[in-house]
Amino acid sequence: MIFNSVEFFIFFSVFFVLYWFVSNRNLSFQNILLLIGSYIFYAWWDWRFLSLLIGSSLLNYYLGLGIWNSKTDKKKKGLLLIGLVQGLGGLVFFKYVNFFVDSFVSAFSFFNIDLNLHAMNLILPLGISFYTFRTVSYLLDIYKGKIEPSHNPIVFFSYVAFFPSLISGPIDRASTLIPQLEKNRNFDYDQAVDGCRQILWGLFKKFVVADNCGLITKLIFNDYHELPGSSLLLGAFYYTIQIYADFSGYSDMAIGFAKLLGFNITKNFDYPFFSQNIAGFWRKWHISLTTWLTDFVFTPLTIAFRDYGKVGLILAIIINFTTIGLWHGANWTFILFGFLHGCYYIPLIIRGTLSKKNKIADDKLLPSFSEFIYMSITFIVVMLTFIVFRSDTISQAVDYFARMFSSSFLSIPKLFNKTTTGFIIVLIAVEWLQRSKQHGLQITNISKPFMRKTLYFITILIIFIFGAFNNADFLYFKF
Amino acid sequence: MQRLDILKEVNDIFIDVLDDESIVLSEQTTAADVDGWDSLTHIQLIVAIEKKFKLRFTSKDIQSWKDVKEMIDCIVTK
Repeated sequence: MIFNSVEFFIFFSVFFVLYWFVSNRNLSFQNILLLIGSYIFYAWWDWRFLSLLIGSSLLNYYLGLGIWNSKTDKKKKGLLLIGLVQGLGGLVFFKYVNFFVDSFVSAFSFFNIDLNLHAMNLILPLGISFYTFRTVSYLLDIYKGKIEPSHNPIVFFSYVAFFPSLISGPIDRASTLIPQLEKNRNFDYDQAVDGCRQILWGLFKKFVVADNCGLITKLIFNDYHELPGSSLLLGAFYYTIQIYADFSGYSDMAIGFAKLLGFNITKNFDYPFFSQNIAGFWRKWHISLTTWLTDFVFTPLTIAFRDYGKVGLILAIIINFTTIGLWHGANWTFILFGFLHGCYYIPLIIRGTLSKKNKIADDKLLPSFSEFIYMSITFIVVMLTFIVFRSDTISQAVDYFARMFSSSFLSIPKLFNKTTTGFIIVLIAVEWLQRSKQHGLQITNISKPFMRKTLYFITILIIFIFGAFNNADFLYFKF
Repeated sequence: MQRLDILKEVNDIFIDVLDDESIVLSEQTTAADVDGWDSLTHIQLIVAIEKKFKLRFTSKDIQSWKDVKEMIDCIVTK
């Protein structure tokens, strides 16, 4: 039941009516409904792993209370450890076991040793990377004394399974979502309308930009050995735009649906392509994941390595980004993707400009020449790593690079698509003008309601006329 | 050492590390009140404070302070 499907539209419409009009705004009734709705939503995808979601919620609910009520630090640590082993252990089992088995087998076969090990036939439970990070941060925050545990199981279970962000984030922290689940929610017309506009913008990004780019990138990455270097560069460009439009479009929809239910959830993207260096990019890309890792991986590492100055900081950042890469899945391509991003930070650390935030004034119509150059360089270095990210294996990525930077680099590219490129320009232009707002259609500078409505109507028309309805899943569902 | 002296020493470290002469800390100051006091410069401040007062904080100490007061409380107990 994907957000941009007819099934979800029917599900959400029925849910919306029950939630606001039948529940009579009774908080416990709304929360029970939210929990049942979330479980139906999840079971629709795959009912087999619903028990894992419920079991994990139950265990973490009691561990949270246990950590809070324990008198000794030793007992607190023990309970935290159980939670970490269950959460991260489950993640490692489903996501990484086969990878380790395969890597071991091929490493030993290099020395002519035949290990009689076989990869298991495992299916990745949908959303496990996302909801596990919620439960793990919940326990760590209780352990550190930053939050109190929830004493209401319905509230906690709804937090773990909150359906707008269950499958693919944003990864909300307990301190953001649980207080909102505990207090009365009243239907706010302005918030709901803004939610609809954000969903519309997400649909535009997904159908018109991402899925159209996807049609081309599929061709280019499948047949890269038969295409000129210029087309491969084009493929890297379209893929970078595709993954942004796909994932940020999904996030816009998730945030929009949450707004329709009276929730403000975590922002996941903040116009990353307008960043002037790599640190700026990662402050604005998949924010809920990077802040999670900053709190639970990067900061503890910088504290542990604090006596080693810049070398310690470089080591911490490389470990942090390799972990971000590995989070996407068990493949050396993701690990290399993360590692490269970590390395990109080295010049910033050496120059001591890591904390420096370059922000372009909101009221400027165009960036200055130097700002434009820095934005372009950042885009290009990020784009190069997405070739690795998109490739099936490292050797394919190396081959892709070799062919891209060959003599045909300066030829006229095949598979250039004018309409798709036009919509990419529209996307970038709209987001540039709206960069101080939460999303592309949060329009406040057009005062005439008629004009604004015309604009929304045009967006809907564009989606129906130019959208690629090829039933493509969101890219981040597989992570 | 008196709390006030500690505060003054810490204030000097902040001015030095963050390179900002205008910083005036009080016990109620939080990271949000000081420009440039983020998670990264926080670690640099910790290293400088540890050197100055010849002590060692634990990882839990460093991540638990909410304001300058709690930081000074921690320095006093060491």
